[in-house]
Amino acid sequence: MADKNAKKKTMTLAQRKSLEGLIFVSPWIIGALAFFVWPLFVSIRLSFSEMISIQGFQMKWVGLENYKYLIQTSTTYMPNFLAEITNTLINTPITLVFSLIIAILVNKDIKGRGFFRTVFFIPVLLGTGYVMQQLLGSGTNQVIDLPEGLLMTLGGDFAAIVTEFLNRITEILWKSGVQIILFLAGLQGISSSLYEASRVDGATEWENFWKITLPLVTPIILLNFIYTMIDSFTDSGNKIMSDISHCFTTGSFNQGAAMGWLYFAFTFLLCGLALLIMNRFTFNQGER
Amino acid sequence: MFRKPKIQTQGVRIRKKVKISKILLYILVAALLVFTVLPMICMVCRAFMPMTELFIYPPRIFVRHPTLQNFVDLLSSLSSSTVPFTRYIFNSLWVTIVTVFLSVVVCSMGAYGMVKHKPVGAATIFTIVIAALSFSGHVTKIPNYMIVSGVGLIDSYAALIVPSIATAYNFFLVKQFCEQLPDSLLEAARIDGAKEFRIFWTIAMPLLKSAWSTLAVFSFVSSWNDSFSPLVYIQTDSMKTLPLALQTMAGGAGVVARSGTVGAATFLTTAPTIIVYTVMKGRVMDTMAYSGIKS
Repeated sequence: MADKNAKKKTMTLAQRKSLEGLIFVSPWIIGALAFFVWPLFVSIRLSFSEMISIQGFQMKWVGLENYKYLIQTSTTYMPNFLAEITNTLINTPITLVFSLIIAILVNKDIKGRGFFRTVFFIPVLLGTGYVMQQLLGSGTNQVIDLPEGLLMTLGGDFAAIVTEFLNRITEILWKSGVQIILFLAGLQGISSSLYEASRVDGATEWENFWKITLPLVTPIILLNFIYTMIDSFTDSGNKIMSDISHCFTTGSFNQGAAMGWLYFAFTFLLCGLALLIMNRFTFNQGER
Repeated sequence: MFRKPKIQTQGVRIRKKVKISKILLYILVAALLVFTVLPMICMVCRAFMPMTELFIYPPRIFVRHPTLQNFVDLLSSLSSSTVPFTRYIFNSLWVTIVTVFLSVVVCSMGAYGMVKHKPVGAATIFTIVIAALSFSGHVTKIPNYMIVSGVGLIDSYAALIVPSIATAYNFFLVKQFCEQLPDSLLEAARIDGAKEFRIFWTIAMPLLKSAWSTLAVFSFVSSWNDSFSPLVYIQTDSMKTLPLALQTMAGGAGVVARSGTVGAATFLTTAPTIIVYTVMKGRVMDTMAYSGIKS
């Protein structure tokens, strides 16, 4: 009898707890349902339909028509698509290398370490949207201009290459703030006893990097790789992104939705592939 | 007797080697730092440059004769529009502050409730969160517009605020930290007779401070810099926020003549983010390293 009672009581308590939890979560759930889950479904439906009238958003199912249009007829979508993918595939490894180097540098015992870390992180805060484009002076006016004397001695073409190179470095550095932080966290997770042991055995810094640092930081490299790719694919300066936004002004919502889905399907595929390949090279401390 | 000097020279040599590598290290860091900082210096200088210096060839990075004329021009009134620049500042501030506050409360509450009360369907919610993390907002922007216009919020502050309150990233961030809250502490408060909401507000929230202040910084940054939402949801000139106003200003006719003003506007737009960040710096760095992601 007493046992039964106790059981009943815990049940109701658990239920009550669950209910209270629901009350706590419900504002967020409502928000997420209204502005994420539902829009996601609508967006899928949009990409397979044709808008009959903007008033009340009446739609007609047209199957793969929108996707067909993008792949076969549209003159801008596929070139932009390919350009963005090449761009991402080039920039991602460079970003990773730079951010790893910076992380190792600011992880060393130097003066003003905190200051350096802060400065390398600040671009992340400014680095979204229009302000960044304004700052990096995309296209028209470049940030870094060589001094005139140097320009004369180098000659026009070569100077152009150098400026392009320097500007690209700036752009990459501006996009590696988060990666640097993640690498730093990874580096600080490596136990110093490993380095001490190898120093006793007579290993140089260079050997330490290849035999200890790099293998142990591979999980972070994988994480950063995926992060950098997604960041680059969803960058607001991205041509596909501006194409999607452009669909708002022209009112071609269906094409916009199809563009988004086609693009993100490919992004996911690429990330999955990267995950699969990189997983083979990732070193797990627990395994060996 | 003979060994002593030998040891000393060795010691000196090692110290010297260390010194050289250290100097090289500083040079390398400084060089990378210059690349990172240069655009920012450029922006600050451009904001204070007088007209005569803006169009010199070769272009200058540093300002010789700083002037506040650009800010005066910007704040007094732009020749082409009837809306004073201060109105945009107010719009941005209002939208951002309300968004940050509501986002902190809603996301913290949700994460706390989910972790500590485990309601029915907690697993499903978490799947949704993870899925949402990997999607760009651009995919859902069009349906979002339909919903906002369906509810009749177009051209209001609410249109800019409501859609960005319940973000998956913020939820995820706080959730990671909620898992570390000791159950015994909450239990103790419960035994002492505290109501659930009070436990959340007076015990959980102070303990989650580093999590939600990071959330606040990121929410601030994304809301303050967002030029896409106002572009889509706002029609009247007087309702525009700073980034959109800046975009209109820099994109319209007579850009060249106004590049000083644009510089000043860019400066005013970026300054608050940097201030907010430097104030919250310590906490953000810790949280970032711990949770491992950003929005």
